[in-house]
Amino acid sequence: MNAVASGSTLVERYAWAPTLGLEVALKLDGLALFFGLLITGIGTCIAFYTNYYLEGDRRQGYFYLVLYIFMASMLGLVWSDDLLTLFVFWEGTSITSYLLIAYKSEYKGAVEGARRALIVTTAGALAMLAGMVLLGLEAGTFNISEILAEPGIATAAITPVALVLLFLGAFTKSAQFPFQFWLPGAMSAPTPASAYLHSATMVKAGIFLLARLHPAFSDLPLWFWSLFLVGGFTMVLGAVSAIRYTDMKALLAYATISVLGMLTMLLAFQEEYALEAFVVTVLAHALYKAPLFLSAGIVDHAMGTRDLRRLAGLARALPVVALTVVLATVSMAGIPPTMGFLAKELLLENFYDLFEHSETLIGGLGFAIAALSAVFLGGAVFTLTWEAFFRRKPDDEAAHLHHAPSFWFAAPALLLTILGAVGALFVGSYEQVLLAPAIAAVAGEPIEVHLKLWHGLTPVFFASMGILVLAVVVFLARGLFRRLYARVPTGFSALAVYDATVDAIYRLAYRVTTVIQGSPMAPQLSVTLLAGVAVVFYAVFFTDGSTSRLLDSLEFPTLTEWAIFALAIIAAITTVRARSRLSAIIALGVVGVTVTLFFIIFGAPDLALTQLLIEVLTVFLLVLVFFHVKPDTPIAHDRREPFRLLVAVAMGFFGFAVVMVNHLSQVGESISPYFIENSLELGKGSNVVNVILVDFRGYDTMGEITVLALAALGGYALLRSTQMHALRQRINAARQMLASEPEPAKSESGREAGHD
Amino acid sequence: MTEIYLRLVNLILTPLIILVAILLFLRGHDLPGGGFIAGLLVAAALELTILSRGATVTREQYGPWLIPLVGLGLLVAVIAGLLGIYGGGFFHGMWIEFYLGGDKIKMGTPQLFDLGVMLVVIGMGVTYLLRLSEAAEAVSKNDAVEGEQP
Repeated sequence: MNAVASGSTLVERYAWAPTLGLEVALKLDGLALFFGLLITGIGTCIAFYTNYYLEGDRRQGYFYLVLYIFMASMLGLVWSDDLLTLFVFWEGTSITSYLLIAYKSEYKGAVEGARRALIVTTAGALAMLAGMVLLGLEAGTFNISEILAEPGIATAAITPVALVLLFLGAFTKSAQFPFQFWLPGAMSAPTPASAYLHSATMVKAGIFLLARLHPAFSDLPLWFWSLFLVGGFTMVLGAVSAIRYTDMKALLAYATISVLGMLTMLLAFQEEYALEAFVVTVLAHALYKAPLFLSAGIVDHAMGTRDLRRLAGLARALPVVALTVVLATVSMAGIPPTMGFLAKELLLENFYDLFEHSETLIGGLGFAIAALSAVFLGGAVFTLTWEAFFRRKPDDEAAHLHHAPSFWFAAPALLLTILGAVGALFVGSYEQVLLAPAIAAVAGEPIEVHLKLWHGLTPVFFASMGILVLAVVVFLARGLFRRLYARVPTGFSALAVYDATVDAIYRLAYRVTTVIQGSPMAPQLSVTLLAGVAVVFYAVFFTDGSTSRLLDSLEFPTLTEWAIFALAIIAAITTVRARSRLSAIIALGVVGVTVTLFFIIFGAPDLALTQLLIEVLTVFLLVLVFFHVKPDTPIAHDRREPFRLLVAVAMGFFGFAVVMVNHLSQVGESISPYFIENSLELGKGSNVVNVILVDFRGYDTMGEITVLALAALGGYALLRSTQMHALRQRINAARQMLASEPEPAKSESGREAGHD
Repeated sequence: MTEIYLRLVNLILTPLIILVAILLFLRGHDLPGGGFIAGLLVAAALELTILSRGATVTREQYGPWLIPLVGLGLLVAVIAGLLGIYGGGFFHGMWIEFYLGGDKIKMGTPQLFDLGVMLVVIGMGVTYLLRLSEAAEAVSKNDAVEGEQP
C-alpha cells in the first residue's frame, strides 16, 4: 500500500500467446488498489453475513462458490492492465451475476430478471469488445497503460466510434439510462448478492472502466457531453423513481441507479473537486448502501416480507438493525459528519465552483441536478427508515416476526455503517494512503488532496442544509408522490421497450426458421448441397483457364487403385439399389472402408485408422437409429427421384472438383514441409499428424474438442428416450394414416420426421 | 436382447481393445495412433458392452461418468495449455526426457493435451452410442407392448 501511495505501481505480465500479442497483464495502481480493497473488504462482510442469511440452505455451498468466483473476476477486472484481460474478467462478472440472480430458480421473476440482466450486460459488453479492438488496433497495443500514454490516441479518427462502443459497455454494466431497467429486476437475487454485486461492486465496473480511460479521453467534447447528460439524467431518474417503491430492495435499487448516474456525471469533469467527489462517493456509497441492503435482507429473513406497506415499528423488535439503518440513512441523506455528507459537499462544491467561474450553464445545471437528486434520495431513504422501523401502524395487514436475528447476523452491516458514519472524521489519517493515489490515477497526474469535513459556513453548506429540509418535505409528502406515480402508464418505461424488442426478435427468428427450415429434411439438405456445388461450379468453369491444367495433370491410376475404384463403385451402386435400409447402410459402410484403403495405399495410417473407426461407429449409429426407431420398410420410388439423382451427381462433382482444385492451386508456399521438418525437433514426435494435432495446431484441436464436448451435452439432453418416444408416436400415427391411404402419403411421414 | 455369445466376446475383447487403445495413445506421438483414435477405439469397445449387455446395464455401470469425463478431458487439455505459460506462452510445448532401463522415455504437455482429447472423445462417443441404444431399446419395448394389444 505504501508503495502505491508513494506513486509507484506494481505490474505483472504473463505472455499468453506471444505470437498474437496476447497477454495477461495486471497492474496495481491507486485506483486498482482502492477498488480492490473495496471489493475484498465488503466481500468479507458479505461472506460472514451469507452464513446467517442462507442458514440451513441446501445450496449454500454453491452460493459461496459463485460468490467467490465473482469476487475473483471483479478483482481481476480492476487489476487488469490489458483491455482483453479486462474483457474476460468483465464477462466473468456478468456470468456469475446471472447465476446469483437466478439462484432462487423456482421463482419465475428470478430467472426472468437474471436473463434480462445477462442479455443487457453482455450485449453491451460485445459492443465494448468491438470498441476495445478498434482502440487496440489504433494504438497498436492492448495494454491499457500504453494506450493511455499514446500521444495521438484521443484525436485519432476512429476514437469517437471506439469510445461510443466502450460507453455502451460501461453504461449497460452500470445501469445508466436507457439500460437502467435490468438493475431493479436483478433484485430477485438473494440479498447478499444484491448488496455486493448490484450495489457495492459489479455495477461500478462500468464506472471503473470510464475512470481508467479518463486520463486520456476526458478532453474530448464527446466524452464530456455523453457522460454529463447520460449520467445526469440517470441520476435524476433514479432518485425521483426511488420513493415510488414500497419494496425495500426496489427502492434501494433505484437509489443505487441514481448514485451510479452521479458517478458517471462526475467523470465528465476534469476538475479536482469532481474527481475527489468521485472517489469519496464510491467509498461512501459502498459503506451506506451495502448495510441498507443487508438490513433489508435481515428484515426479509425475520419478517417474511420486505414490503414497506406491511412493516412498522421494527425498531423495538430489531434494535441492532434499526441502529444500522439509521446510521446508514444519516450518511445517505448527507447529514454531517458522515462520509455521505463529505461526498455531497464535494459534489456541490464542484458545481458551485464551475458556476462561479466561467461555466455558468454547466455549473448551474449540474448544481440543479445534484440538488434535485439529493432531495429525492433523502426523501426516499427517510421514508424507508420511518415506515419500516419507527411508525406505529402499517398500511396493510402487519407482518409478524418469524424469528429474531442473532447479533452476529447484523454485525457485518453494523460494522460497515459505522465506518461510513464516522469515517469522515478521520479522513486525514488515510486520505494520503487510500484516496489520493486513486484520485491521481483517475486524473492521470499527481494531485494534492486535503479533504476537510468542515468548510465553514459557505454557500454550499447552506445549500446542503436546504436540501435536507426539502428532503424532509418530500418525505412528509410521500403519499402525494406515490399517488402521482401510480398514474404513469406502464408502457412508458425502458423495460417495456426492452420486452417489445426481445419479443420482436423471437418472432423474427421464428419466421426465418419456418421459411428456411420448414420443409422436410431432403429438400432442405438439397438446398445446402446445391449452394455448395454452385460455388465450385463457378470456380472451375468461369474463372481463368485452370480447368485444362487440371485435366493435364492427371496421372493414370495403378492396378490396385483400379481395384479399389471398382470396389467403391460397386458398393455405391449397391447402396443405391438396396431394397432395405439395413443393407443400404452396410453397403455405405463398405464405401467408407474403400476410402480407408486409399489412405493405407498412400501412406496415411493415422487417417486410415481414424476413418475406419469412424466408419464402424457410423454404421453402428445408423443401424441403431434406422433399424430400431424406424423399422425396415421398403424404400419407395416416387417422382422426385430425378431431382435426387441430380443432387447426388452434383455432389459427386462437388467432391471431385474440390479435391482437384485443392490439389492444384497453391496459395503461397505449402506449409507441409515445415511441419515435416520440424516435427521431431520442435514437437518432439516423429508422427507428424499427431504433432500437428496436439502441438502445432493445438488451438484448433482445443476448439474442436470443445465442440465435441458441446455436442455430447446436446446429444445427452436431446436424445432422452422420452423425447424419442414422442417422436416415435408421431411416426406411428403417420404410418397408420399411410396404411389407410394409398402410395403418395409417404412423403407425409417424411415431413413429420423432418420437423423434429 | 442380451446374447450369450456376445457376452463372451465382450468379456474377452472389450478389455483387449481398451488395452490396444491405450497402446495407440501412448505411442501416438511417434507412430500412428494418438488421442483421437484411441478415444474412438475405447468408444467402440464399450459399444460391444452395450450390444451384449444392453443399454440399461451399461448406463448403470458407466452412465454417471460420461459427462464428467468430457469435462475432465477439457480440463486436462486446458491445464496442458496453461502449463505452457511457464515455457513462454499458452500451449507452448514442454517436455521431460529420462531413461528407464536403457529406453528413452519422454513426456510432455502435448501428450497431456492428447489425453484430454482422448477423454473428451470417449465421453462424447459413448454418450451418443448409449443414448441411441436407449432410444432403440425403449422403442422395441414399446413395440412389444403395442404388439400385444391388438
